[in-house]
Amino acid sequence: MKIILTGNPNVGKSVVFSYLTGYTAISSNYPGTTVDILGGKTKLAGIDLEVVDVPGVYSLSGESVADRVADEIIKKGDYDLIINVLDANNLERNLFFAFELIEMKRPMIFLVNKCDIAKNRGINIDFKKLEELLGVKVIPIVATAGIGFDLLNNEFKNIVKNINDYIPKISVPDDKLDKWKMIGDVSSKCETIVHKHPTFLEKLEVITTTPVTAVPFAFILIILSFYFIRFIGEGLINYILDPFFNNFYMPIVEKLYSVISPGILRELLFGKSITPLEGFSVLTTGLYVPFVVVLPYIIAFYIVIGILEDIGYLPRLSVILDKFSHRIGLHGYGSIPFILGLGCKVPGIFSLRILETKREKLIAASLMFLSAPCMPQTAMIFAILSKYPVKWTFLFFIFLFSVGVLGAFLFNKIVKGEAQDLFVEIPPYHRPVLKNLLFKLNLRTKNFIKDAVPFVMGGIFFINILDVMNFFDMISKVFAPILNSVFSLPAKISPIIILGFLKKDVSITLLTPFNLGLRETLVSSYFLVTYLPCLASIFVLFKELGKKITVSVIAFNFVFSMFFSWLFSNILLAMGVQ
Amino acid sequence: MEITLSKAKNAKLKVIKINGGRNMIAKLYSMGIYEGVDIEKLVSYSKGPVVIKVLNSQIAIGHNMAEKIVVKEMN
Repeated sequence: MKIILTGNPNVGKSVVFSYLTGYTAISSNYPGTTVDILGGKTKLAGIDLEVVDVPGVYSLSGESVADRVADEIIKKGDYDLIINVLDANNLERNLFFAFELIEMKRPMIFLVNKCDIAKNRGINIDFKKLEELLGVKVIPIVATAGIGFDLLNNEFKNIVKNINDYIPKISVPDDKLDKWKMIGDVSSKCETIVHKHPTFLEKLEVITTTPVTAVPFAFILIILSFYFIRFIGEGLINYILDPFFNNFYMPIVEKLYSVISPGILRELLFGKSITPLEGFSVLTTGLYVPFVVVLPYIIAFYIVIGILEDIGYLPRLSVILDKFSHRIGLHGYGSIPFILGLGCKVPGIFSLRILETKREKLIAASLMFLSAPCMPQTAMIFAILSKYPVKWTFLFFIFLFSVGVLGAFLFNKIVKGEAQDLFVEIPPYHRPVLKNLLFKLNLRTKNFIKDAVPFVMGGIFFINILDVMNFFDMISKVFAPILNSVFSLPAKISPIIILGFLKKDVSITLLTPFNLGLRETLVSSYFLVTYLPCLASIFVLFKELGKKITVSVIAFNFVFSMFFSWLFSNILLAMGVQ
Repeated sequence: MEITLSKAKNAKLKVIKINGGRNMIAKLYSMGIYEGVDIEKLVSYSKGPVVIKVLNSQIAIGHNMAEKIVVKEMN
């Protein structure tokens, strides 16, 4: 039996999908978390089900990419049942899309989600009455808490037997205005709203969106986040991970070192020095760097991002940034690919789909590549700069961001066209749920360990081979002229730049054992972040936007990166920073 | 008094007319913004976006689009 899961954006479809299929989809409090169509399999009431998660849309007749994808799947009709998810907080608005589904005359049931939040906001829904008026089975649920799924499970016993009972019996008017009239009628009969005093979160919504207060709030939030990340990261390193590594792990390695006789094997495993960060031993530095230097910052970052995502702050940021974004040829929602790109470029590139014109996609892509380091990179920059005062970390990001904006500004001047207008729903703030936060943190940390740790270890092993074979000098000679004369950087880091191309997100951390000075660290990190997109994002960009745009974005990026690394280096030299 | 959404001072407004193309009207309709509906203006950036509340949800609308929505100020 094939089921399609539909609904407006941000109604919690992904949570329902995860619950049904056990598939671990990331859910966040902003519209459009699901960009790709997900499919999964499950068993309910003893029946094998195939579930397709359709992108959330407001209407079947829309013009955006998500709208067309959803429209195609729904109208194709090769499914047995529609499960449509509605948000209890927004029942009336959600009914417009529901009415369009009712017109399809296919078997369907409605899940009304977020009933707990609605109740707190003084919204009472008579579900029996709603069911009666719509002629569709209605089940109230709280997806995040798993409430109501037992009712759905029970319903399935009946669905298999009498699927045709689930075809809606009412008819709805064709005209859109008449639809709204009927919706107003339905909701007035089954929904009562008790006006409550604005809650703390509702007051916060106003404060963080009204210009006078929103801009200072955003700045304070960013600064606090920086300090919080440093605090958590340093705390984890100094009190947990570093002592653990030195007191429990190192004795074992030292023992191993003493039993292996000197020779090529020992050099390959332990490098020229066994002390972490002094040599390139895969067993000491190779583990110390990913687990002790970087992992704490990865965790700290994902805690902050997770909380902001779940509260629902990011769409508000797009309102604050809208006016500014127009100057670089984007509307406020152009900041969404940028913000997602701060996590990982791949979902960032996918989210370019929410922008309507090629021009906007081009500008947003180049802004993202020039100034949004992905989460592992950001964590590594924090890690590698953690021995210096926090102002240098700020300076790094301010420089990075300013150059990105300048790049987007130039693109906006070069490519003719007008910026589209912002038009987006802003979800209300939600209290973050600890369970969801931990779930996301766990998933993302695991991904980092699976993805990055083997590469860092492999990279350090590779550099160690070059080191013990004395190949360093040879490679360095090739790169020395550029690195020395253009960026005033030591030639010894040239293997990192080569490795950086393979997996640039974690390459910055490979700089740790080289004991670079402050300027050298800042400039080489800047260069590594910007000089080329990583292989995965080049591939996705190519797929999404085609050869021409990909090549122009990469070329533009490279030239910009070279020039501004040079400039950055010279500014710092002029400031007397080595 | 009839005025554009971007210039409206009051919070309580009624949509009178949408001076947009088919595409824009379809987008607004699907979100519940149509002639005759009551809306509340929550946030307004001068020459920038506005945030309105309609049917219990908050929607951000860019400046140019907000200029094309004619509203009546209610008391």
